[in-house]
Amino acid sequence: MTSTLLKRLGVALATIFGASIFTFVLLRKVPGDPARAIAGDTATEETIAALRKSMGLDDNLFVQYGNYMGSLLRGDFGFSYSTGNSVGTLLGQRLPATLELGLLSVIIAIVAAVLAASFAVYSRRRWPDQAVRAASSLAMGSPPFWIALLALMVFSIQLGIFPGPEGRLSPGMLKPPNITGMFTVDSLLAGQWGTFANAAWHLILPAAIVAMGPFAFLSRLYRNQLRGTLRETFVAVSRSHGLRRLPVYNRHVAPHGLLSLLPAASLLFADLLAGSLLVEKVFGWPGIGSMTADAIIQKDFAVVQAVLLLAAVLYVVVSLLADLLMTAADPRTRVGAR
Amino acid sequence: MQSNALSLPVPRLAGDGGPEPERNDPVLSVRGLRTDFVTAVGTVHAVRDVSFDLRKGQRLAIVGESGSGKSAMAMSLMGLVPPPGRVVGGSVRLNGKEIVGLDDAGISRVRGKDIGLVFQDPMAALDPLKTIGSQFVETIRVHQDVPVKAARKMAADLLGEVGVNDAARRLSDYPHQYSGGMRQRVLIAMAIANDPSVVVADEPTTALDVTTQAQVLDLLAKICDERGNALVMITHNLGIVEELCDSVNVMYAGRFVECTSTEALFASPGHPYSKALLDCVIDPANARRGALPAIPGSPPDLSVDEPGCPFAPRCPIGRDQERCAIERPQPRTLSNGAVVRCHFAYDPQGETA
Repeated sequence: MTSTLLKRLGVALATIFGASIFTFVLLRKVPGDPARAIAGDTATEETIAALRKSMGLDDNLFVQYGNYMGSLLRGDFGFSYSTGNSVGTLLGQRLPATLELGLLSVIIAIVAAVLAASFAVYSRRRWPDQAVRAASSLAMGSPPFWIALLALMVFSIQLGIFPGPEGRLSPGMLKPPNITGMFTVDSLLAGQWGTFANAAWHLILPAAIVAMGPFAFLSRLYRNQLRGTLRETFVAVSRSHGLRRLPVYNRHVAPHGLLSLLPAASLLFADLLAGSLLVEKVFGWPGIGSMTADAIIQKDFAVVQAVLLLAAVLYVVVSLLADLLMTAADPRTRVGAR
Repeated sequence: MQSNALSLPVPRLAGDGGPEPERNDPVLSVRGLRTDFVTAVGTVHAVRDVSFDLRKGQRLAIVGESGSGKSAMAMSLMGLVPPPGRVVGGSVRLNGKEIVGLDDAGISRVRGKDIGLVFQDPMAALDPLKTIGSQFVETIRVHQDVPVKAARKMAADLLGEVGVNDAARRLSDYPHQYSGGMRQRVLIAMAIANDPSVVVADEPTTALDVTTQAQVLDLLAKICDERGNALVMITHNLGIVEELCDSVNVMYAGRFVECTSTEALFASPGHPYSKALLDCVIDPANARRGALPAIPGSPPDLSVDEPGCPFAPRCPIGRDQERCAIERPQPRTLSNGAVVRCHFAYDPQGETA
């Protein structure tokens, strides 16, 4: 057990290291000179050359990477030229917004997928299954930013049920005290019900839209897993003992489905950091996604690099956790053979 | 349904040695049972007009090749035919209760309590995520209103009875911690936990290695003897039949082609198919190297029901007979009591009657 754990940790560290090299080299090799972009169109060649030197862009790649990793290990993510802030500060401001959106959308996706797929599989009729499959095809096939625009038009402009693209709170609304950085959680902790309602109201629509892709994926996965499990002999065996449909489903079918959902859902969560990029942009959500979109356009290396690395770390950590959870949850891996 | 004609008389059994109770009603009575599987390419008639009776303590073997409809019949008895299969006709009465056409609640009260099933593959028959104990307790509490603790005690006793050592402690183990033979013991114990009057064993040893097979069969026989359950043994292994069962129904293409006592079958098989099956049994003492004996041809396509005898194309007698190709043989009784569906069955008294 400990040796497996150490092995996993080693692989995780190696993956993060590889990701750091990859993002670093990739961003250095894309066309376009960040120094020129920062200095502006009117800058002279001397200014640009000086800037390049101060940014360390004239050193060879190994030296640049060494410097980058060195400061990274000291907790310094670099400096964002386009915003004039340190990347660390930016992440601190933006990350909670994205986490809040991501967490809620993962929860929505899992709950909706489990409910829909369970209904589709358990029902003796055909239409629920066809409906869930159609819904998941639709959700998978539509680009989220387009749905976001559509949803804003319908729910915000036409019906006025949800707020427009004004970010996390209505204009003029005071932010809750900063505890976790997630407004809904912080306002609840502080007992500010009005702020909570306002933050939740702003959160629901983008979260639901971000949840669509994961819902499509998870509902299919869960449905297929359930249908496969229903064909297992042990299901027929428990029926042969006199168990009725629902208890068999609850005790012997659903647990297998949920177990298979664990790794998939965890990977999706890691994905959401980058996945909601355009949706954040459409809703004016001040998260990592919209920040990254801006940074890419501005050739703000330090920011893009930090986000990519963060995504890699999150991905590795979450899948490691999922692995450990799986091992703990499945008796076949948890308990050795006799 | 009850009016369904007795299409195949049930052989009277004699001399099975046991204390045959006189004139008691059969615990299981099957009449005109038909099971279809509706697929995209056609309807497979897996069980076609099967009738038989089973009495307390009786041990009946159902033998036949793969694809003869044995397992579909076993599942039909439990009301567990997997979709797209369905019982489309006939009647199955358990202790006098009709079970064909019952809803989920009704059939669930019967399963496990009146009829128990032992499955073919013990490796796949237990939920890998649940301990043996929790699955066993669940099985007991479906039909018996006892607290979990008492059910656990009963489970441990039953496990001990089927030969699981240190049963109380092993209840907390998971299926993967049991060997195949042990799992089959557990499944047998679960199948009899609610004392069903009929136990159906669907090739219970096929997935086990040879050394465990005999133990599991002995156990089944012992359990049925001690508890008085009637046993339906589905198998293709005639050795098992000879050792374990007192009567045999030979199944071919969804029908019983010969219903007889084990003794009579081995002494003089009536149906050419029964004879062919017996000829395929390899006697290790006299076996010659080379080709293994086999029945030429393959079982017929069950999606068509042709007018003649389904075995005719493979039959040493019927191959050349026009009658076998056009006229379906009806059941008739031979001089030794065997009931066969064959125009030219071997009668022990005459040549081919």
